[in-house]
Amino acid sequence: MQNVVFGIVTGSILAVATLGFALVRQTENFLNIAHAQMMALGAFVGVVLVDTYGMNIFLAGAITVVGLGAVGVVLSAVFFQPVRHQGGTVLLFTSIGLALMMYAAILALFGTQARFYPDVSGSLHRFAGIGIATNELVIIGLAVGSIAALQLFLNSTGLGRAIRAVASNDDLARVRGVPVRTVSNTIWFISSAFGAMAGVMLGVLGAVNTEIGWHNILIVLAAAVLGGLRSITGVILAGLLLGIMMDVSALIIPTAYRPVVAFGVLVAVLILRPEGILSIQRRKDAVVA
Amino acid sequence: MTNPIFWVGVLTLAMIYASLAMSLNVESGWGGMWDLGIAGLLAAGSYCYVILTASDPDLGMRFAPGLSMWVAWPLSALFTGLVAFAIGAPALRLRREYFLITTLAFAEIIRQLVVIQADLTRGTVGIANINRPFDSFVTGRDYNYVLLGIAVVTAAVMYVVTRQVGISPFGRTLRAARDNEAVALALGKRVNRMRIKTFVLTGVLIGATAPVYLFYIRAISPQLFAPGITFTVWTALVIGGLGSIRGGLAGALVLIVFTEAVGLIEVDPAHINILVAIEPFLVGLLLVLVLRFRPDGLFSERSSFGAARRSAGDPAGDAARVAGG
Amino acid sequence: MELVLDTVRKTFGGVVAVDDVSAVMPQDKITALIGPNGAGKTTLFNAITGFDPPDRGSISFGDRRIDGLPPWRVAELGLIRTFQTPVGFTTLTVRESMLAAATPHFAETPVGALGLSRRARDHERASAARAEEITAELGMSDLLDVRTDELSAGDRKLLEFARSLMAEPKLLLLDEPAAAVAPANIGRLSQLVRRLRDERGLGSLIIDHNLSFLMQIADEVHVLDRGALLASGPPAEIAADPEVMRVYLGEETDGDG
Repeated sequence: MQNVVFGIVTGSILAVATLGFALVRQTENFLNIAHAQMMALGAFVGVVLVDTYGMNIFLAGAITVVGLGAVGVVLSAVFFQPVRHQGGTVLLFTSIGLALMMYAAILALFGTQARFYPDVSGSLHRFAGIGIATNELVIIGLAVGSIAALQLFLNSTGLGRAIRAVASNDDLARVRGVPVRTVSNTIWFISSAFGAMAGVMLGVLGAVNTEIGWHNILIVLAAAVLGGLRSITGVILAGLLLGIMMDVSALIIPTAYRPVVAFGVLVAVLILRPEGILSIQRRKDAVVA
Repeated sequence: MTNPIFWVGVLTLAMIYASLAMSLNVESGWGGMWDLGIAGLLAAGSYCYVILTASDPDLGMRFAPGLSMWVAWPLSALFTGLVAFAIGAPALRLRREYFLITTLAFAEIIRQLVVIQADLTRGTVGIANINRPFDSFVTGRDYNYVLLGIAVVTAAVMYVVTRQVGISPFGRTLRAARDNEAVALALGKRVNRMRIKTFVLTGVLIGATAPVYLFYIRAISPQLFAPGITFTVWTALVIGGLGSIRGGLAGALVLIVFTEAVGLIEVDPAHINILVAIEPFLVGLLLVLVLRFRPDGLFSERSSFGAARRSAGDPAGDAARVAGG
Repeated sequence: MELVLDTVRKTFGGVVAVDDVSAVMPQDKITALIGPNGAGKTTLFNAITGFDPPDRGSISFGDRRIDGLPPWRVAELGLIRTFQTPVGFTTLTVRESMLAAATPHFAETPVGALGLSRRARDHERASAARAEEITAELGMSDLLDVRTDELSAGDRKLLEFARSLMAEPKLLLLDEPAAAVAPANIGRLSQLVRRLRDERGLGSLIIDHNLSFLMQIADEVHVLDRGALLASGPPAEIAADPEVMRVYLGEETDGDG
């Protein structure tokens, strides 16, 4: 049971990170490989603010999330906007290029030494024999809160509805006079902020090192694909499921296999249940035909 | 300004990346399969070679048959082809980005397996001082020239083989199926089987390049096969021109010479981090710039296959033929 | 040899696209398949060629059942189709497209690519000559080295037809071959389709909206309406059928016939 709790914590972080990723995939129509580097950047900026400047963890987290959200908007304007008309392939490989540059920036700015958040785990709470630290409770709470806020924003504000319109059909939204530029900026802000938040959370729970981004991109991809990239609920469930599976599998097989479990599940799902994915593709081929 | 041995090393590395990029081009450029699992195939070939040639009992490896490198080399190529088949047969049922994610995941699985199977691979410790061909005849710094020779010959073989594939009826059908799968099927092409064969071919070519990579690196460990190397090979190919015959070769030369040359800049030891960061930064920057300003790369696919230049929907041709008919 | 459809049915989520169609189409005759938009003509093509297998009924060609076979296998048996939207092999030239259609399986392997097989080389040479011949007959000789995506829509349509001739067809299935083709070239097209029947015994099953084109060349006409077969017979008989006129021409008042 203890591992299920760990899994829920991991899963919450994963859900936050993947939501940001899926939002861009749905609205801008490409897999943004640089997303996981935003997580790494978040982890580093947070640790520097807390550890080097002695800032309160919540204040540091808020500054990191808002600041990197803005950075994400700028990066999208500089890197993705100019090649947007060239379609998914070019955008995907541009995001790989951006990921490499962000990785280089992290190396240059923060060095290769692992960094640690000061111990903020707080007291250990026990419920029916299962222990959970205060910071883990806070992480779950923040994840739930931010996802709920996103849901509320998408459902009940004009801008949120515009984003959903873009997600379902870009051209239609453009025709109907939705301010595409504003929508795009908002999407990038939310996506990057969610990535940065997941990064800070990861950092609080473990070590912050320069490889965080590369380690997490596949797990995020896995959660996004499992969740179907379409519904927020799907992504949340996939994130939780994957988190729990990784942590519970540690009981049965050595922990070294943790990432292998995530990728194995991804590959298994893709290959054993491709009907949904494939049938859509078949239809498209038929239309082209 | 710098000693020639440095440039010999840079050229050697460029030839190795060129070999990988040209191999990748067969499946990705012509076959249309976006494979992000190059690192995994390279790892499979490299570890196969290292394990087959290992003999030193001190290394504590469970399996160390100590084969001659001339036997192990082709076996590594074949083994990598087998691994490619095991990945490709299920993964090729998926399309586009799902295929891409699956290959990336398989590559990571291979890398994690290398870490975990430590009694076979020595895990994260790795293996150093890998034996190299002819190193009993030529020693010291002169060996770098021998290595360059091996790399150049490898790249030349890859060029000849991939070019032949590209201009052959097989390559033509591959490109046709990439452009329009439905039409290819309607003409009786066994598209999926052909793609699996292509994927295996790329595996064999990468497996054949792997030992040369090891001769250059001299020490093997799992972190060599992180996704970074896949992205570098892709960058080389995109710079050179995805789908062109010479693209992989040209792109790798430009990319590697450029990144290594910038590494020569004198940096204050206090800023050592910047030195570490230069390579990924330049690879990323070049990729972004080429995609933005020259998305077809240095050589385009068009230039490789002799299509006449003609502006889209040139009305003159139509009118002339209608009048003539 | 004949293409035989026996109570072929295809539904898409409750909508019956092809409704128990039974028909016999001789392999050496020109058969026209007409009907208003949405009558299920292309769906029937997709069912025959394996792209969208029927839910029920059987399709056979000669003495072989072909329903349920994958598209490439149906094509191998000699049923070669073209597509309504002529996208084609976008980056291949006309010549390459023609040759790709003719390439035999034994040349389509990595080992075959090494070009060691004399048989493959001879085959390639023969195909090249045939490609030039066919394109010449369709008046496309000057387009041989032009990329498919740079052709006009009409030329792409002709290429669809020309390409299918390269694939050793026993029966052609042409989906709107005359659409967007310049009037002068439609004449060439009908001539060629007829000559293929007369000289080589190669028949066609043709869908088109250009009735004057179809009625001139068809030996037999089948009329589909809302998925079901409404009438079958020689062109003159169909043209005189008041029911067909009502259903079909009623909607196509701007009909070319």
